[in-house]
Amino acid sequence: MSDRAAIGVELAEQFTDVAQQRRAATLGMWSWLLTELLLFAALFLIALVLRILHPDSVREAAHHLKFWIGATNTAVLICSSLTMSGAIVTSRLGWQRAMVRCMLATAALGSLFLVFKGYEYYQDYIEHMTPFLAWRPYELSGDRASQLYVSLYYVATALHAFHLTTGVAILLGLAWQARANGYLQRHQNRIEIYGLYWHFIDLMWIMVFTIIYVMNR
Amino acid sequence: MTDVAMRERTPPPATLDRPLDYLHDAHTLRSWLFTIDHKRIGILYLIAITAFFIIGAVAAGLVRLALVVPDGQIFTNDTYNKLFTIHGVVMVWFFLIPSIPATFGNFLLPLMIGAKDLAFPRLNLLSWYVFMTGAVFTLATVVIGGVDTGWTFYAPLSTTFSNTWVVPALIGVIVVGFSSILTGLNFVVTVHTMRAPGMHWFRMPIFVWTMYATSLIFLLATPVITMALILLVMERAFGIGVFDPALGGDPVLFEHLFWFYSHPAVYIMVLPGMGVISEIIPAFAQKKIFGYKFICYATIGLASITFFVWGHHMFVNGQSEYASLAFSFLSFAVAVPSAVKVYNWTATIHKGDIHLDTPMLYAMGYIGLFVLGGLTGLFLATLAIDEHIHDTYFVVAHFHYIMVGGTMLAFLGGLHFWWPKFTGRMYPEVWGRISALLIFLGFNVTFFPQFILGYLGMPRRYHVYPHEFQLLNILSSAGSTILAVGYIFPMIYLLWSLWFGKRAPSDPWNAKGLEWTTSSPPPKHNFIVPPIVDFEPYDYPVKAGESV
Repeated sequence: MSDRAAIGVELAEQFTDVAQQRRAATLGMWSWLLTELLLFAALFLIALVLRILHPDSVREAAHHLKFWIGATNTAVLICSSLTMSGAIVTSRLGWQRAMVRCMLATAALGSLFLVFKGYEYYQDYIEHMTPFLAWRPYELSGDRASQLYVSLYYVATALHAFHLTTGVAILLGLAWQARANGYLQRHQNRIEIYGLYWHFIDLMWIMVFTIIYVMNR
Repeated sequence: MTDVAMRERTPPPATLDRPLDYLHDAHTLRSWLFTIDHKRIGILYLIAITAFFIIGAVAAGLVRLALVVPDGQIFTNDTYNKLFTIHGVVMVWFFLIPSIPATFGNFLLPLMIGAKDLAFPRLNLLSWYVFMTGAVFTLATVVIGGVDTGWTFYAPLSTTFSNTWVVPALIGVIVVGFSSILTGLNFVVTVHTMRAPGMHWFRMPIFVWTMYATSLIFLLATPVITMALILLVMERAFGIGVFDPALGGDPVLFEHLFWFYSHPAVYIMVLPGMGVISEIIPAFAQKKIFGYKFICYATIGLASITFFVWGHHMFVNGQSEYASLAFSFLSFAVAVPSAVKVYNWTATIHKGDIHLDTPMLYAMGYIGLFVLGGLTGLFLATLAIDEHIHDTYFVVAHFHYIMVGGTMLAFLGGLHFWWPKFTGRMYPEVWGRISALLIFLGFNVTFFPQFILGYLGMPRRYHVYPHEFQLLNILSSAGSTILAVGYIFPMIYLLWSLWFGKRAPSDPWNAKGLEWTTSSPPPKHNFIVPPIVDFEPYDYPVKAGESV
């Protein structure tokens, strides 16, 4: 790797020094992630409650989920966390161009996840596994509770996909800003903070996958 | 890793005898709507919630009007349902929850810990816009279209049976939740990272402690109700059935998720009020606060226990009796830290140099009403008694003693206490005292009869009731007119004081705390010289023989 840029953080007005600003930003992101965790936690709780109330229906429904697409997507996201870590490490070293490449790779993997996810939804649609569409009758076996579980699957995965879509958009925005020379000198912080968010989206997928797909098979 | 600071912190240029304050820094509307100054954002919130309060109060007045006659002749059933829903939705979601944190918290938190601003000023402005978007949207929905579910949106009424505009109202409430989360996040980070040199944790004013505890609740509880309300929207829009027993769901599950947020939300409303009272009382007793650390621990204690008592809203809905027992016991535990605070306040007043100015009148009223509200809470936490009085006017009276007698009085007390700091003007003291007394009187006349009504068995949310309840209902409605006058006076004289009030010195009450060391109103960056804290909190003069 070539040109090594100076790294640093532009001091915002309200802070006394850069160390304070870094601490604040990190804690801010962790607080946000804590909130996000509880947002998902409500869904996980409902999934567990449904499993306790209707164990057979839930198992029935979980068999219709595309396990292997979900598993592939888990692998894809774990790889994307690796490239994101690459971006953070290179940003600390001041290798700005390598960092941008890592970020683009991360965004590409994130998008690949979304493509797979879209394909999975398409397959679900073909199978008439869409209990919330009034004009398209549900044609899989299983009672109303299993349809409820399928609906919950849609809510959980759509919420995650929404986070991932936002994540990819922000990542592309950051990569666009980071083209400019001297970016790392002013905003190295942003890469670190953003990395936390990306890893969190990855972690949430692992939990969604475990709780919705794996546990009920 | 080397950090390169691009900009040096520059001392502000020398000023004349009166430094340029945050109000006169710029005058355009734009300078207010795009401000990132925490003080101006606090004022923006103050204006917004005052407007919402007026709407919620008018709805309450109409509800009390309807209850003057026992046969429900004044409004139709639907109109009555919509009116109390407007009152509940607006007062809880758009007034009480943001009231003290978003106004005083925004304005005072950085001042009290000696910071220039909150950690994320732009996020702070964003949270005001998020708040306004959600609030105005829901407000338009409940006023123009009408919603009849009450502020609690219980399933299956909200999912299956209501024919009103539930979905848009829910969407607005969900959006407002994000504003709470962002404010809480900002406060938590600010308290952790922005304290002035020497301002360690046990030198922070109690108000800052309560803001911190409130913010933790914002962060931990709000997302849960966000998800519950999203599922309610899904349920109504797509019929997915999470809360519908016919589809394998469970309506009680909604109540669990709802109260997992909404009980802690009670402490979002109460803790900041306790913080305000803990600032007012030492100032007007001119005495160090009694048991400072105990109040800090009690604050954190309340914020923690509150996450484990939600089931006391559900004693009669069929939840397990063992769960009810545990929730009942834990609800009693809440009384301990609450009592610690009340005793500490009274001990602070004891043998103090007491000044009965307006803020102190509100604080004294607060203590009395909070005790009544708290003790009646114990009635409701008792399983056997709750069987009898749940969903009656006893409950209505109980939580109004906490929400109005507690939070609203603290809000008004704090507003008068810090008004000189906010605006640089003094309010007229005589009018202040008259309104404080009117509010105390009007409040009790309005709500005390409701305890009796509830105990006699009048259910909440009905406007047709047996004739023998009419006298007490008329008394209650009459009291609400006194209360209304008590609210209208401050709106007039506080506005008047903006132009004609006496100019305020930087510390009109001889109070302690960093916010009183800077000018009134404060300069743009709060302090001309960044403060260094080498004194204990509430270091009021100690008299001979006083133990500290």
